[in-house]
Amino acid sequence: MSLINLREVSKLYGFGGATVLALDEVDLVVEKGEFLACMGPSGSGKSTLMNLIGLLDRPTHGTYLLDGRDVARLRSNTQAKIRRDRVGFVFQYYNLLPRMNVLDNVALPLAYKGMTPVRRQKRASDILELVGMRDREYFMPRQLSGGQAQRAAIARALINRPSIIIADEPTGNLDSNDSKVVMELLADVHRRGNTILLVTHNPELTRYANRVIYMHDGQIIGDEPTAIGRLAKGVRRTYYRRRRTTEEDTVAGVSALLKKVPGKELAGGSRARRSPARKRRVGRRSKKVRA
Amino acid sequence: MWSGNIKSAISSLRLNKWRTLLTILGVTIGVASVVTVVSLGEGLKKQVVGQINQLGSDVITVRSGRLTSEGVGQDSLNVLALLSTSTLTDSDAEVISKLPSVETVVPINFVTNTASSGQNRLDNIFVIGTNSDVADLLNQKVAYGSFFDERQDNGNYAVIGPRVAAQLLQKLNPVGHTIRINGVDFVVSGVLERSSGGLLSVAQTDFNSAVFISLAQAKQLTSGRTNILQILAKSKDPNIEQTVADIESTLQKNHAGQTDFSVLQQYELLNIANKVVDSMTAFISGLGAISLLVGGIGIMSIMLVSVSERSREIGIRKAIGATNRQVLNQFLLEGMALSISGGIIGIILSLVVNGLLRVYTNLEPVINLRVLVVAAAVSVAVGIVFGVAPALKAARKNPIDALRNG
Repeated sequence: MSLINLREVSKLYGFGGATVLALDEVDLVVEKGEFLACMGPSGSGKSTLMNLIGLLDRPTHGTYLLDGRDVARLRSNTQAKIRRDRVGFVFQYYNLLPRMNVLDNVALPLAYKGMTPVRRQKRASDILELVGMRDREYFMPRQLSGGQAQRAAIARALINRPSIIIADEPTGNLDSNDSKVVMELLADVHRRGNTILLVTHNPELTRYANRVIYMHDGQIIGDEPTAIGRLAKGVRRTYYRRRRTTEEDTVAGVSALLKKVPGKELAGGSRARRSPARKRRVGRRSKKVRA
Repeated sequence: MWSGNIKSAISSLRLNKWRTLLTILGVTIGVASVVTVVSLGEGLKKQVVGQINQLGSDVITVRSGRLTSEGVGQDSLNVLALLSTSTLTDSDAEVISKLPSVETVVPINFVTNTASSGQNRLDNIFVIGTNSDVADLLNQKVAYGSFFDERQDNGNYAVIGPRVAAQLLQKLNPVGHTIRINGVDFVVSGVLERSSGGLLSVAQTDFNSAVFISLAQAKQLTSGRTNILQILAKSKDPNIEQTVADIESTLQKNHAGQTDFSVLQQYELLNIANKVVDSMTAFISGLGAISLLVGGIGIMSIMLVSVSERSREIGIRKAIGATNRQVLNQFLLEGMALSISGGIIGIILSLVVNGLLRVYTNLEPVINLRVLVVAAAVSVAVGIVFGVAPALKAARKNPIDALRNG
């Protein structure tokens, strides 16, 4: 039985004419112990997917089985308990509560579990030791650098020993040094057997993953296993061989940017059906521009 | 969990000190006014009881108007009777004094409320025309000098209360000095002992600020017109009921068959006084309760603002595993912290006001524990009632929307 199993999951936002299709019949299976990196342009549905997996949001259609249990049938109370005990969130903006010190922030999930203050602070202290933040226990979040705040946030995510860590662009706000520290921490957590779902814009970070999925317009358009330490192939294509726009393209404006949608060549499997049509369309337009 | 919630509630209230302070003001004023008014009422009642005990239970009071009207099922207070001018006359007092079952009769004839001496002038006193039996009947002792006796009944003598003596004459022993009432000089023949009589005493007079003069002089001062507030009588017969019935039938005859007066024994008087105080207390407490309501609405609106402002916090808390109930508890507790602190400050304020009233007025408010407990309970209830809606709003927020909007 797989840990996460999404079947034709869709998510719609808004009503009537303003409806946005954030996820379009996504199928995804994640096994225990995977380090999955999710890539794609802004608005491609990466975060929506992670929020659904993390039970912060409910799918509009489709089924989501977590450990074989259909989460749509769970009461919100039970969902909250799953978030508390099984899922750890790491956000781009750290999301520490500004009026609590680091120790209380990290211990908060335990408070919701009903643990006594002394025990939960002891445990939080131990976890902070793990992420190298022991000496800043009594700092307020505003007194921390970005990297320190993110380490504290990771400590908070880890405190209930969750089986899934969802990191939504955890390095989005950090410089390369802090990014490295944070990613090494996540890699460490992965080595201990946790499942990690990472959303990122930075292709370099796929080195930490053993599986990369690519998203576009709410669909998973690519899914490849990759060796840890290696850059994913798909990334290499989109990242290193991305065509530069010419002067002509600049004159042509936005439409020129559409002549090559990154990742489309990768499309395969179940979604191959739609891709050729789009390719043709894009191709035509680019020809026109050149002409 | 609870300790954490309380800590976070207090810290978030301290974050916006001014807002918090202004929010709790409504509850503070409501609680303070209700507690103060109720304790004032209790104090008045206690004073009335004290005075009635001082008078003795064999004193019969005749008052103008029917004080209780028969409503449906039970007696109710006839407020009009308290406001109308007196229907009692000199002849009523005379008729009563001739009854064999009555020992002494003392009419209380209100003359004026001002008196002066040299440059000093007092305008909040009671100048009362009566006879020399009044001291005996009211159990009032004379501290200095003596009460005017029968021989002096028609002379220009006055017996004054201690407050009048202190404020008008400002001398250690005012006996022998003169005071001027309506242009006529009166020699002070005695000063009463300080009594515990309050504003709403039996004779509707605070003896401390009363001036007693003889009935004949009073009549002259008011050119023959009398305004007898009440007639006090002492029963010779140990069977007071019988005496009351005698007085009633005699007066009825004197009033051409009309019963536009009340003959009351002490306990009846007590009941009436209690009713007056109770209805006043209820009325003013009602106003205080409206303030509590407004305060509660203030708490609700501020909590709603707080819930929107802290959308992100709610999102974070939910993301790391807070259940709806836990979020609800947190915000409910915050609303309650507001109203309870308002209540506590209100209680403290009312204690201060009570202290000031005791020092600067002759009111003696009595705070009983029951009032404080009720006030505290009401402020908790206000917090719950008006905190629930914002707390529910917070609890029902969709975590992802809360995170995104924050």
